[in-house]
Amino acid sequence: MKIRLWLSTAIVVALPAFGGAQTPALDRTAIPTPGPLPQLNVPAWTETMLPNGVKLVVSEKHALPLVSFRLNFVGGTTQFEPADRAGLADLVTRMMLEGTTTRSGNRLATDLQLLGTSLDLSIAQESGVLAFQATSDKFQPALALAADVLLHPTFPAPALERLRGQALVSLTQMRDRTGGIASMVYPKILYGAQHPYGRMTTERTLNAVTRAEVVNFHRAYFQPARAIVTVVGDVNPDSVKIAFEKAFAGWSAKGSPATFAYPAAPASAARTIYIVDKPGAEQSTFAIGTVGPPRSTPDYYAIRVMNEMLGVLFQSRLNHNIREEKGYSYGVFSNFAFGRGPGPFMAMGDIVTAKSDSALIEFMHELEDIRGKRPPTEDELAQAKASLVQSLPASFASVAGVNRSIASIYLQDLPRDYYQQFAKAVTAVTGEEVVRVARQYIDPQHFSILIVGDKKRIEAGLVATKIAPIVELNDRGERVNAAAVTP
Amino acid sequence: MTPLPAISRAVATAGAAAGLLASVATAQAPRPGPSSGASRAASSIDIPFERFTLPNGLTVVLSPDHSTPTVAVQVVYHVGSKNEVAGRTGFAHLFEHVMFTGSGHVPYGMHDRFTEGVGGSNNGNTWFDWTRYYETNPSNYLETALWLESDRMGFLLDSLNEAKFNAQRDIVQNERRQSYDNQPNGRDEEVIALAMYPKGHPYSWQTIGSMADLRAASVEDVKQFFRMYYAPNNATLAIVGDFDPANARALVTKYFGDLGRGPDITRPTVPPVTLTEEKRITLEDRVQVPRLTIAWPTVSVHSADEPALVFLRDILGNSRTARVTKELVYDRQLAADVDASHFAFEDAGQFQLSLVPRPGHTLTELESAADSIIARLKRVGPTAEEVRRVKAGQQATFINGLQSNLGKASQLALDETFFRDPSYSFRVRYPRAQAVTAADIQRVARKYLTAKRVVLSNVPMGRTALASHADRSTVVTDPFTERAETTP
Repeated sequence: MKIRLWLSTAIVVALPAFGGAQTPALDRTAIPTPGPLPQLNVPAWTETMLPNGVKLVVSEKHALPLVSFRLNFVGGTTQFEPADRAGLADLVTRMMLEGTTTRSGNRLATDLQLLGTSLDLSIAQESGVLAFQATSDKFQPALALAADVLLHPTFPAPALERLRGQALVSLTQMRDRTGGIASMVYPKILYGAQHPYGRMTTERTLNAVTRAEVVNFHRAYFQPARAIVTVVGDVNPDSVKIAFEKAFAGWSAKGSPATFAYPAAPASAARTIYIVDKPGAEQSTFAIGTVGPPRSTPDYYAIRVMNEMLGVLFQSRLNHNIREEKGYSYGVFSNFAFGRGPGPFMAMGDIVTAKSDSALIEFMHELEDIRGKRPPTEDELAQAKASLVQSLPASFASVAGVNRSIASIYLQDLPRDYYQQFAKAVTAVTGEEVVRVARQYIDPQHFSILIVGDKKRIEAGLVATKIAPIVELNDRGERVNAAAVTP
Repeated sequence: MTPLPAISRAVATAGAAAGLLASVATAQAPRPGPSSGASRAASSIDIPFERFTLPNGLTVVLSPDHSTPTVAVQVVYHVGSKNEVAGRTGFAHLFEHVMFTGSGHVPYGMHDRFTEGVGGSNNGNTWFDWTRYYETNPSNYLETALWLESDRMGFLLDSLNEAKFNAQRDIVQNERRQSYDNQPNGRDEEVIALAMYPKGHPYSWQTIGSMADLRAASVEDVKQFFRMYYAPNNATLAIVGDFDPANARALVTKYFGDLGRGPDITRPTVPPVTLTEEKRITLEDRVQVPRLTIAWPTVSVHSADEPALVFLRDILGNSRTARVTKELVYDRQLAADVDASHFAFEDAGQFQLSLVPRPGHTLTELESAADSIIARLKRVGPTAEEVRRVKAGQQATFINGLQSNLGKASQLALDETFFRDPSYSFRVRYPRAQAVTAADIQRVARKYLTAKRVVLSNVPMGRTALASHADRSTVVTDPFTERAETTP
């Protein structure tokens, strides 16, 4: 209480005005002129094809005694996971850390910790990775542990039951969050449960997984023919090659490169609002979008520039309007997923419950205006381009950053001089192209609008916007009522 | 679905702060080792810096690193939610948001224009003890960043705008909804702090503050707070990255040299916090899965025991081999998840253990199992291998942190703020952490993990019987939320 008293007293002490300047007054209205932009130095790397089909890529960076290792796999859950086994690949990667023929799971974890490292093992929609970072003196022993995990896992049956139990609890906890529900339900709305992009992990798919399926998935997925090893840091290509071939000696050529043949996405339906009820929610999670273009689109750079000013930069149109001007949210964004297939375009954010209707109107305004009614200003265009091009050096600051940058060239099948060409391609984008790609890839007439929130407090307002008919879904993405509520 | 990007101008949440404090805590020069890499690490790795103070009291730390053509500028003000007054909780953080709405010579939006809009970034964070602001830019935009930071340090009030202030007040309320009220377990820290600290104690509320206080904040509050705390003599400026120190020194003098010194600040004396008994509380939440959190009062960043408490944290939780995790998640499978943390503040500390049960197991079971594990550790102490594991992790984390200009700027500036020594973490604390022994860890476990603690059961609405030892647990509400106001 004494403390409070002191603070209250202190805060009302009258303060003198700022002292006068000591030197001739500085003209603070003059914006400093920047010097010349530092030259972009894209890291160089070597590429070697090993006899078993593994591509070995090494980039030297000797500033610090650190090494970043990634064993990347082209292809992921959407190529290798059966539709009714969503969650299988995740269980496989966790099971691989449960022990090898010579180390228990506990021993493995201890050995990794004693080296000051950990294995990051995951399989995403279109790629997988086994990665670690270590100080350079620990690189070889850490590599031996990574090889052991990849080549000799034992997949103990009791561990599967434990991991399944943990995954089921996580799933339940995810449904306690409006954002968790949106992330599970929205892909299904856009693509349908049959499309690889629309699958959802549920209790049913997790409970269906057997140990035999885990063993088979591991055998089928982790093949040299689709592997690219990228190593960055305080190493040289020759020593890495020797170390890798020694550690992965038993890994023989098998398998074939992944193919990315996606079924067509479902035909776009008329604009619809989907509500998932979350009674009591203080905020509604929004996801507004459509099926988008694949990474291979020739419009990639123009879309990136357009999206930067629409919903990436802090002062982007969506965030400036809905957060900064209206105060409806702590932040809103937009994103193109850019997969090998037609990944989603989405605008998203958490909106205060009472302003769910007003925020939807503003989302629709901005998403409509970027399509030509309000073309980009010169400054919007300049900022969008600079933010993309001039941020590149920062992505090469750490060994892990360089490694991710190089790996993504291989995983996305991009030209080797991609980063050198990037600035040129971005700089060439015009305001007219921004409008053209906005018109082409942002399609408000066919938006699927998902709002997860407190239905009884938001529904009437949403109906009154007359933006679209409303369909109620449950947290599994299934229709609750047969008939839509039409405005 | 793409995960939501990190949000700018964010309050430092418990999680983020844990990461930050961990990085501060582990930012040390590694000691000599037998192999080539480690000996190189020992002999040549340091954070070289120079430090000077302007006549107006601004402390400046410069640390050139030319490996990437970028530069990080960070200003830490020695003010946080701890300095707030009754009825204005959350104000230090709301003020941080106002610092992005323009200043005397920098119109609103210009700050983003010359950071993000030139390929850089900016953000601000508020914590109990400090508020920090930063820019990371291509190195040719160093002067622009100094122009931006100096203008809001000197001239924020010249352009204070009621509409912009009101919008930020709404935004911060939405931040509270998003990160606390609408998150499962989001209010746990608030009720733990109320139980742990005496009424009115500066650490008894969270940095985000209460919804009612946020609504009550006014432009007049902004003016008073700015005049009291936002002055050069209450700030540290750190610049790290690709720049010439002589040039940087000249630029700092140019932009900050003529800013007026503020009043001297007498800081609150915060008495050490101890509990006289165990406090058992139950909070109802919109969750399906309950969670138990045990919280013990510990010590501040200044205590010699602080490094050993970090070891204790990693020996109990956060990895498969940690004792509580191994036994409860892996061996006996009573728990789905275990999390251990230690928050070392400027004047206090908290050690926490959180446990999520598997279906069919109760919070009572988890509490008693965790207590047995802790009792065993107090009796026998950790093994040599357990201690070595934690040390190896700290060394790797330190070298990794050296790659980030922003991370280094943050550490130098915060160490100057707390210890008047920018190198404190790597020249003082690190040797101390390297010297931590199994006996030290056993000793701090005995000293701090006692029966005088807070035990929080977070349970689904209406299911207070699920609390650990429900008959001895008091059902509490969180007075900081809107929910408390709308549903009495």
